[in-house]
Amino acid sequence: MTAGTDLLPAPRGGTGTKTGRRRSSALRLFGTERSGETTVKRVQFSSPFLPYLFLAPQLAIIFVFFYWPSAQAIHSSFYLEDPFGFVSTFVGLSNYADVLKSTEYLGIARFTAIFTFLVTFFALSIGLLLAVKADGVIRGNAAYKTLLIWVYAIAPPVAGLMGMMFFDQHIGPIVKLAAWFGWDIKVGLDYFDTAFAMIVVSVWKQIPYNFIFFLSGLQGIPASVREAAALDCRSGLRRFWTVVLPLLAPTAFFLLIINVTYALFDTFGVIDVTVKDKAANNPITLVYKVYMDGFRGNDLGGSSAQSVILMIIVLLLTIFQFRFIERRVHYN
Amino acid sequence: MFKKISLAAVTFAFSATTALAANNITWWHGMAGRNGEVINEVAQKFNASQSACALTPVSKGTYEEALASGIAAFRSGEQPNILQVFDAGAATIINAKGAVIPAEDLITKAGYSFDRGAFIDGVRYFYADSEGKFVGMPFNSSAPIMYINDEALKKAGVEAPKTWEEFEAIAPKLKEAGYIPLVQSQLTWQFTENFFSRNNIQFATNNNGYDSVVDTKLKVTDPNLQMMFEKLKTWKDEGYFAFYGAGWNDNQKVFEEGKAAFWVGSSGSFGGLQKTAKMPFSATFLPYWGSIKGAGTNSFIGGAALFAMSGKSDEENKCVADFFQFLTSPEIQYFYHKATGYVAITKAAYELAQKDGYYKEKPVAEVGIKQLLLPAGEWSKGYRLGFYPQIREIMEREYGRIFSGETTVKDAFETIEKEGNELLARFAKTAG
Amino acid sequence: MQRTKILDHIILLIGVFIMVAPVVVAFTTSTHEAADIHSNGLSLTWGGHFAETYETVFTRQGGFTGKVTGFNMMMNSMILGLGFAAGKIVLSMLAAYAIVYFRFPLATAAFWVIFTTLLLPLEVRILPSYEVMNTLKLTNTYTGLVVPLLASATGTFYFRQFFKSVPDELLEAARIDGAGPFKFFIDVLVPLSRTMMAAIFIIMFVYGWNQYLWPTLMTTDEGFFTLVRGIKQILLVWVGSNIPDYNEAFALAILAMLPPVMIVVIFQRWFIKGLTESDK
Repeated sequence: MTAGTDLLPAPRGGTGTKTGRRRSSALRLFGTERSGETTVKRVQFSSPFLPYLFLAPQLAIIFVFFYWPSAQAIHSSFYLEDPFGFVSTFVGLSNYADVLKSTEYLGIARFTAIFTFLVTFFALSIGLLLAVKADGVIRGNAAYKTLLIWVYAIAPPVAGLMGMMFFDQHIGPIVKLAAWFGWDIKVGLDYFDTAFAMIVVSVWKQIPYNFIFFLSGLQGIPASVREAAALDCRSGLRRFWTVVLPLLAPTAFFLLIINVTYALFDTFGVIDVTVKDKAANNPITLVYKVYMDGFRGNDLGGSSAQSVILMIIVLLLTIFQFRFIERRVHYN
Repeated sequence: MFKKISLAAVTFAFSATTALAANNITWWHGMAGRNGEVINEVAQKFNASQSACALTPVSKGTYEEALASGIAAFRSGEQPNILQVFDAGAATIINAKGAVIPAEDLITKAGYSFDRGAFIDGVRYFYADSEGKFVGMPFNSSAPIMYINDEALKKAGVEAPKTWEEFEAIAPKLKEAGYIPLVQSQLTWQFTENFFSRNNIQFATNNNGYDSVVDTKLKVTDPNLQMMFEKLKTWKDEGYFAFYGAGWNDNQKVFEEGKAAFWVGSSGSFGGLQKTAKMPFSATFLPYWGSIKGAGTNSFIGGAALFAMSGKSDEENKCVADFFQFLTSPEIQYFYHKATGYVAITKAAYELAQKDGYYKEKPVAEVGIKQLLLPAGEWSKGYRLGFYPQIREIMEREYGRIFSGETTVKDAFETIEKEGNELLARFAKTAG
Repeated sequence: MQRTKILDHIILLIGVFIMVAPVVVAFTTSTHEAADIHSNGLSLTWGGHFAETYETVFTRQGGFTGKVTGFNMMMNSMILGLGFAAGKIVLSMLAAYAIVYFRFPLATAAFWVIFTTLLLPLEVRILPSYEVMNTLKLTNTYTGLVVPLLASATGTFYFRQFFKSVPDELLEAARIDGAGPFKFFIDVLVPLSRTMMAAIFIIMFVYGWNQYLWPTLMTTDEGFFTLVRGIKQILLVWVGSNIPDYNEAFALAILAMLPPVMIVVIFQRWFIKGLTESDK
């Protein structure tokens, strides 16, 4: 009846089978095996071909539409070519050297790190706060949720435009408000003010996203667990830290990774609008530089090299997160 | 509105039927809003005027998005017939040997005669090669001009300056009258590139880059240019000049609100200003320095040009030539000039506009053309520099740092020249 | 107890205010004239041009071919949004299911192969992507618009996280009942994942709905314009020569937010608490 799809108990000890030990240490780096903690599913199917069948569509699309173009993009990082494709000169690693030697690049990298940290931190914490509160109230529950989720749908160009109108040097409401307190906001002229505006708008855009996922994660916590916790722990705050947050950990870890990649890769629209597409001496992030050099400047080799560098940085960052943070995530 | 819909429907139906027998040519451009609509109207007029060719304009986003699309399409063999490329991207497309057919060649091959002299001087050279042959066909061109707050001048009792020396003399009076004497919107186009043109000074070696891609070097450390920026900095400190960053609109706003006396904008800006300026305004030429010998020459254009992509059939190329001819006819030029505020590029179109009394109605509209018609100088033809968008970014960055006090004028220009030359060398390598 | 409840409401109201206020302002601003908006910026007052602006946006047949209408753009955005969301859910649930619930040699490698797609954004590989599309003859098609976007890891990653947190007892119990992988997936896992599916659907729908750069590059036929493209077209006027029709852009943006609201309202039912035990 179900031949070939028997359930297998996972091997004892949790460190994986003999096959596990045969795996390269590189794979072990990915944190799927660790001593002591059981992270491999204790029960799994072992059908010979079903998993491949399920994976096939996703992998096929990824290979055709991601790896194939990406391979070409990486390939062009080793060349200096005219964008139309007439002339192509192999230059080895010189594109990379040019990028890394520039002091401007290092300054941008530094700002990118600060920007990513601040955006991730605020977007996650505000999103979490709102999700916990929305989950907790009963009256007006649906209204709050609809309103907070729905804002996510606003078209990015408009969100950016409005962000800028709020911060307009001459007529922006936020600028006028800040002027009462003696803060003369000059977005586009003052480095700090521009950074502030960028961070505020990026965080604003990302809050609904985090809200949605935190909320669905909270909804997934069984009622029985909540009741038990309420009995054990009077203080809502303690309950949150000791019960809710650990149970939210899988979602939180997911969102951590997604927010970091959002801040690093998807914010260039916000940056573009904030600096009114003139980088000048404003703060910009690494991905915006890629956009400027590749898309606006048509420097294929240089921008590809920058993207590869960025990709390596993020890959290392992600491996680090998987290795050291995911091990603290309780899945069951 | 009903008329517009039915006209569009009729023209569409008309071009649909003629498309069966006609050659289809496509035009990818980077314009939107009203300018995009005008392009559609021009194409519709062209299609209605003959039946051998059916032109379809396609908006591909911004200038950069259109160029990126064009490049991607070219690499896949799916390029359009006509591509609109902006001034800073000109070097990229012109230096890609074989990507385009020079407009002049295209037109003469189709059997038309081509008269370079029919074009206004300031427009002729920018998209041409070092011999003056038109590679791109100038399309939407503008000149940097200075707008005047008429009320401010009256209140301070001064006249509009022709030279920067004159400006310096009247600035204190304007400041006393309660105005910011000077604001501007683009330090690169207006105060760097067109500083070189208006004051007739060499911008880069190799004849401003026209003669060759190899070994072209910037000459931005020219003492005259440094002097200009030292002056700007001094004026800022004295309250004669205000700087709001590199954003065009941030600086224009101040003029619209009537707070500034002079604003350096574009010849195309008056359309918008008419709706938003709170006071009456007029315009004059971008000032030059009287002390510089040979200054006072024409400015060169900004905007974009149309390029005929190669790899298309002879019939389609003829259609493109037909369209270029159509586009440069006085009537169409006048129409485009009136509808968008960009300057008419041929002398005949200019004369038509004059005869029609357009400039009596809107004297501001004439200033840009007149500035382009000023006597040419050795260095007022334009520039051909690779990776120019990136070079402009370096300039904007350093200029920002000058005004925020982070660097001196001298250091800034040395940095610009050094990094700019590195980019130019890099570009030379990409172009083979 | 009462005090904390009021505090909760206050926090939520502040949150809602910060998030929704800009949208409300966008709406009120859209009722003004473009020149007004340019000079005075955003305003909370009613501008009185509501009817004409919204009517224009709805009915105008723009573009060269007259195909750029509010309705067409909405249809295209809808196809992108629904197609992308539905496609993502199917592909990623299956892939995550395989990775988490099956033991096979390439599981880890497959996960990382999928995960790496997060690291190289589309803009960087847009030129080669376009060339691939041309080779496959997929330009100016809906397939070409939706399918390549599916090459991303978010959904798979998210479901992987969720599946890993589902208690093993469920699988054991199902096994005892005689269920194989298909039955377990459809009868147990999918219902369990309703809240997650709702979340992913909303996010992915909006992602597809708001796509700009890819459709711009991929299509030359005006019949493919999406709402976002329409908005950008309005705003892309070179400030200086003309005033962008801000009012129309804002109006279009407000209209563009309505279908996603509907989607959220529809999926509200799935954001319910405590599905696990009670659902079997």
